[in-house]
Amino acid sequence: MNGFLGYVNGSSPLHNLHPLTKMIMSVALCAPCFLSGNHLLILGIIALNLCLFASAGGAGRAITTLLSFVKFSAVLFVLQVLFIRDGTPIFTLPPGIVVTREGVMFSLLFVLRFMASTMPLALMLSVTPVGDISNVLVRNLRIPYKYAFVITTAVRFIPLFSEEMLGIMEAQTARGVEFDTKNFIKKIRLLVPLCVPLLVSSVRKIENSAISAELRGFNLRTRLSGYKQYSFGANDVLVIAACAAIIAFSASGILP
Amino acid sequence: MIKTAGLCFRYAGGGRNALSDIDLEINDGDFFGIIGSSGAGKSTLTYALNGLVPHHFRGDFAGEVTVNGLDTRRSAPEALARHVGSVFQDIDSQMLASVVEDEILFGLENFAIPREEIERRVEDSLASTGISELRRRSVSSLSGGQKQKVAIAAIVALRPAIVVLDEPTGELDPQSSRRVFEILKDLNEDHGVTIVLVEQKIMLLCEFAKRLAVMGSGSLILSGPVKDVLSHAEELEEAGVNIPRVAALARRLEERGLYQGDVPLDIGRARIMIEGILCDASF
Repeated sequence: MNGFLGYVNGSSPLHNLHPLTKMIMSVALCAPCFLSGNHLLILGIIALNLCLFASAGGAGRAITTLLSFVKFSAVLFVLQVLFIRDGTPIFTLPPGIVVTREGVMFSLLFVLRFMASTMPLALMLSVTPVGDISNVLVRNLRIPYKYAFVITTAVRFIPLFSEEMLGIMEAQTARGVEFDTKNFIKKIRLLVPLCVPLLVSSVRKIENSAISAELRGFNLRTRLSGYKQYSFGANDVLVIAACAAIIAFSASGILP
Repeated sequence: MIKTAGLCFRYAGGGRNALSDIDLEINDGDFFGIIGSSGAGKSTLTYALNGLVPHHFRGDFAGEVTVNGLDTRRSAPEALARHVGSVFQDIDSQMLASVVEDEILFGLENFAIPREEIERRVEDSLASTGISELRRRSVSSLSGGQKQKVAIAAIVALRPAIVVLDEPTGELDPQSSRRVFEILKDLNEDHGVTIVLVEQKIMLLCEFAKRLAVMGSGSLILSGPVKDVLSHAEELEEAGVNIPRVAALARRLEERGLYQGDVPLDIGRARIMIEGILCDASF
């Protein structure tokens, strides 16, 4: 099971890019979401993310990820709409809550930005092994190895914790706990007590990982320890140029 | 060579000694099995061998542990790791990379193995554990058995003289467990690697190990060649260790005066034993 932020095997052009190019691409796809307030542009960025996922053989995973974002975004959207009262009223809900045009547009922009800015990170991690990210952070960006290791380990542990949580939920389901209830509040109340076993098992896993790293010379590593060499190719130049174009276009103000 | 003399250890805040007066010698090239019930101190003993006790796990340490002449109290775990490789039960948490190749490279890079030698070591370790075809695979796409082989390959690549494994087959099915044991046997016989293996699967352990130690409540109860240890059935039962069924059968036959000889350690030898008894009875 790969999880939402795990690496997916492949040999697509995206997989074969320099890891630094993939990181730049991830930032470049994120930037327009904050440089522009145009809904269509951000929708275009989401579509571009989906296309890139598909080109790397991860279309199914992209759609699953997007659907989970949509569910979460729906809750965020409703909350935002209910809290923004300024602007032109569209209609009023029973207790006197005014839903405004500006509120709806801002909330829509907010959730689109959330989805569009999260997908590039998932895309980058699905086509780049964490070891490559770590190597580039240390060698090219001069980040101390310990910090780079912390970043990549945090990313690597997210799917592991997710699997752990699912395991705990399955164990509780087998004992009769009904997590598939449609009552959101009840579901939260059922999930909260599971945080304790999740925390305990997570700490144990982290401890074991630390031991494993220590016994394989983690503390001896230097900036030049990385074995793999990465070279920039024509595709890297093209991608970086495209990234620059996307950022320039979104910052130019051509779109309202 | 591993030698412990009067080894005692109590975890900080622990109520009793996790290890009490352990005297043990493990020779170069040995395949040494350690067995015992839960809480017997088996894992703590492995931590003492790779230096995690007392450097990582703090507590009261007494006695002496030497590994290839290095006193573990005076040598950091990184220094000891050049002599002792360690593999643990929890498969997922000992994976530090997302791709098999990177997992093997992790230790090689850290120990500054010369660049021109790294490729050869990666290939050799993957080949010796039978997972060459997994080199480019993502770790998350592997089965439990494959991940444990990757963990062993990552250690083998460092070429330690000793490999200490703490229940490496705890999460594996019987077939994968046997395959892991076969890999360890090849490492032991073909490459002369000393294997120290904590295991609960006594049947497999007795089949592959040359010598066996039985632990109980932090103490060493029995130690010696496998057949000698298995002949102490009562002590084994007291220590909460179930002897292999073939060994139990041999013992009962011996008690009834039907069999005298070596304790069979696998079904094939048990069959030969029974056929011999039936043959004698027919005459």
